[in-house]
Amino acid sequence: MNAFLIPYRLRLPLAIAAGAFLFLGLFLLYPLFNVFSASLLDADGERFTFANYVKILGRPFYRGAIANTLGIGVAATAITTALSVPFAFALARLPIPGKTAILALAALPLVLPSFVSAYAIVLLLGRSGLITQALQSWGIGFGSIYGAGGIVLVYTLTLYPYVLLPTIAAFKAIDVSMEEAAQSLGASPRRTVWTVTLPIVLPAILAGALLVFIETLENFGVPFVLAEDMPIFAVEAFKLFIGETAPNPSSAGVLGVLLILTTALVLLVQRRYLAPRRFATATRTAPPLLAVGRGTRAIATVYCWAIVLLALVPFFAIVVLSFMEFRGPVLHPHFSLDNFAVLLDRAGRPLVNTLIFATLTAACVTLVGVPIGYVVTRFRSGLATLLDVIATLPFAVAGTVLAIGFVVSFNSGPLVLAGGPLIMILAYTVRKVPFAVRSSSAILHQIDASLEEASISLGRSPLQTLLRVVVPLMLGGILSGIVLTWVTVASELSSTVVLYSGPWRTLTVVMFQALEGGGAGIATAAASTLIVVTLIPIALLYRLVRRYELSML
Amino acid sequence: MTAIVIDRVSKTFGSVKAVDQVELTVGDGEFFTLLGPSGCGKTTLLRMIAGFCELDSGEIRFGDRRIDRLAAHTRDIGMVFQNYAVFPNLTVAGNVAYGLKARSIAGAEIERRLAEALALVQLAGYGARWPHQLSGGQLQRVAIARALVIRPQVLLFDEPLSNLDARLRVSMRAEIRELQKSLGITAIYVTHDQEEAMSVSDRIALMSAGRLEQVGTPAEIYRHPASRFAAEFMGTTNLLDAALLGRGGSGTVSLRPEALRLLPPDAAAPAGWQSLAGTVARVEILGPITRVETHLADGTPVKLATLDEPHLPLQPGQRVTLVFDPARLTVLP
Repeated sequence: MNAFLIPYRLRLPLAIAAGAFLFLGLFLLYPLFNVFSASLLDADGERFTFANYVKILGRPFYRGAIANTLGIGVAATAITTALSVPFAFALARLPIPGKTAILALAALPLVLPSFVSAYAIVLLLGRSGLITQALQSWGIGFGSIYGAGGIVLVYTLTLYPYVLLPTIAAFKAIDVSMEEAAQSLGASPRRTVWTVTLPIVLPAILAGALLVFIETLENFGVPFVLAEDMPIFAVEAFKLFIGETAPNPSSAGVLGVLLILTTALVLLVQRRYLAPRRFATATRTAPPLLAVGRGTRAIATVYCWAIVLLALVPFFAIVVLSFMEFRGPVLHPHFSLDNFAVLLDRAGRPLVNTLIFATLTAACVTLVGVPIGYVVTRFRSGLATLLDVIATLPFAVAGTVLAIGFVVSFNSGPLVLAGGPLIMILAYTVRKVPFAVRSSSAILHQIDASLEEASISLGRSPLQTLLRVVVPLMLGGILSGIVLTWVTVASELSSTVVLYSGPWRTLTVVMFQALEGGGAGIATAAASTLIVVTLIPIALLYRLVRRYELSML
Repeated sequence: MTAIVIDRVSKTFGSVKAVDQVELTVGDGEFFTLLGPSGCGKTTLLRMIAGFCELDSGEIRFGDRRIDRLAAHTRDIGMVFQNYAVFPNLTVAGNVAYGLKARSIAGAEIERRLAEALALVQLAGYGARWPHQLSGGQLQRVAIARALVIRPQVLLFDEPLSNLDARLRVSMRAEIRELQKSLGITAIYVTHDQEEAMSVSDRIALMSAGRLEQVGTPAEIYRHPASRFAAEFMGTTNLLDAALLGRGGSGTVSLRPEALRLLPPDAAAPAGWQSLAGTVARVEILGPITRVETHLADGTPVKLATLDEPHLPLQPGQRVTLVFDPARLTVLP
């Protein structure tokens, strides 16, 4: 097509879309295509076959992996939801002391690495755990925390904010006059909650619950720490991939494809049935707090604080433990800085790598995600919808699977990236793009499009307008997105373990290797460093992040 | 010298013809209004002139220069938006100077024109204020100053008053008209409010379903509507059967309520006027005017409006004689 026939107005969005399709095509669709084709080719990668699926699905071990993963996911989702909905209701509608603090603390598990929590649980309640041994010395025993129970526990403690935060927002967005209407029609307050309030917030609850479910499907670190012999999807895909010696990673490919299909199915359900049902109630003022008795208030207060604090205990424990002396895996309750000395000595480079990767990824994600968010929000067309769908796709792809696709795609051929730092940064970027797109599109929805038209009619070109009007207005959201990307990339594990190579280890890899090799001291030091690295930027930009956090969910 | 020529312009969204073969010429310095109900295509047409919407076919010219293929930011247009679109991250001065800076005008010149523009919209001394400190009316003045200061060839107004309260609307529309006339810049104004359109415009194009329904001065369109739609859109009217009024042939005529008069008892109708016998059904005293709904003998409702007339007490059920000058009838096609 002749470029001069494209209306000037559409040239900038088309250029952005072209760049985005190129990037996502090369670093998302191409690796995924290679995972699919790996699963459909024989071990030499030459002939087309369904034998791999038959082989994997024929083995009870892998069928078990699928069943375990889904079962754990359903259980964790159900428990998380059951705990979070009353929590959200209490925070939104009951007089509870310390609400601001509860909200601030409740959001933390979203950014803290969940496998650190899992590791803390092992150190406290595991076979030679601190609490286990203390209890044993008094003759008290309890069931094993390894396997499904422990995994569900950690998921519950780390993923509950996914349900809590949107549900609070939904409870607060309810128009009081709806409840008043119900009561004026004769419904008791209790009946009003069940027949009016809950149905209105239900879509938000379910949306959060689905996020929890997807997170459990894709999570690698938590089952890696806690599953022991129990086969779990993401972990088995990783083990198969590492163990596969044939040129074509067909078995890992099969698990990867199955995992993608499952998450994609869940996402599809979400988009089709839930997204259109969000009840928008146009109200500015939050509904008033309910008058309740002292007893109810006390119970609600204890309940909320208990969940928030319990979720943070493992992280706190890790920090404390990192200042104690370990001999091998055995802990001695003496204060010591040895762990950090060892960490700095042996893992100084990984610490620097972590900081550099997180920074570069945050920059890349912003440069890729914000323009896509702009095009997707401002230009309604088939092309923009397609871009939106593709840019959301990484959300449905477990980090392990995307990383396997990266290795298969960029190990040889025209673009060799394997073994370098760039492959990790690119994989992180692709994984975080959906969040950047969503958050920037949420911000853009609040910026009137006529501001851009005003700027253009006053003589600034669309590109200048984007840079001088749109970007400054989005700045708060963009910065907050950068912070959240930065902290989540710093604790990324699932694609890192597949992609890292010797000099490019990160802090999470140091922890991962220590877990395999038993160096508990260095692992705790790495974990607390990770916690500090995560909390500092969040604390510095707390107000900003708080304001935009919800849009990232 | 900027006349605007809209030459057989069309635009289709999906299966809807938003703008359908519109042909218009707006004279240099004219205050021209696109009027119509929502969805009639008036805003689409305005956005095509501004460059925010592509034409499917046709041409738009400023004078002899074809502009519909030009990039929006090179068209030299001042546009005032419905929701003001004042940049919230810039001060009043920053907003008004925005277009001047985009044109790389020298600092001293910017200062001079900025002060001049703010004075013009009665915001002198407001330069350092932030948009969130201003009222709706003041924001709209900032938006107008920002559009005027670049001395555009053409001014476009997209329902600029619809977010203001009723009183402010009335005073702002007079101000806008005065400013436009004193600067002599060709202006196109979009509104769905016929009273606003009649108050500000030199000429009005009444649009419906993407087509031009009628183009003319406010008085022409009001007094001589070319269609049933025009007659009804421009104000309350009585659409009556031509036969009923003793006029030959079939068809409908439009007779404005204020063209009818109540004949006082024992008075005679003015020479040449026609009269109708009716019964009062409802009386609404709105203050300056009184609206009366009457029914003719066959039940046809006829609305009448008079200035407040305390000496003529009216009761429902009362028999009255309505008279009108036949010259004020409009026969509709």
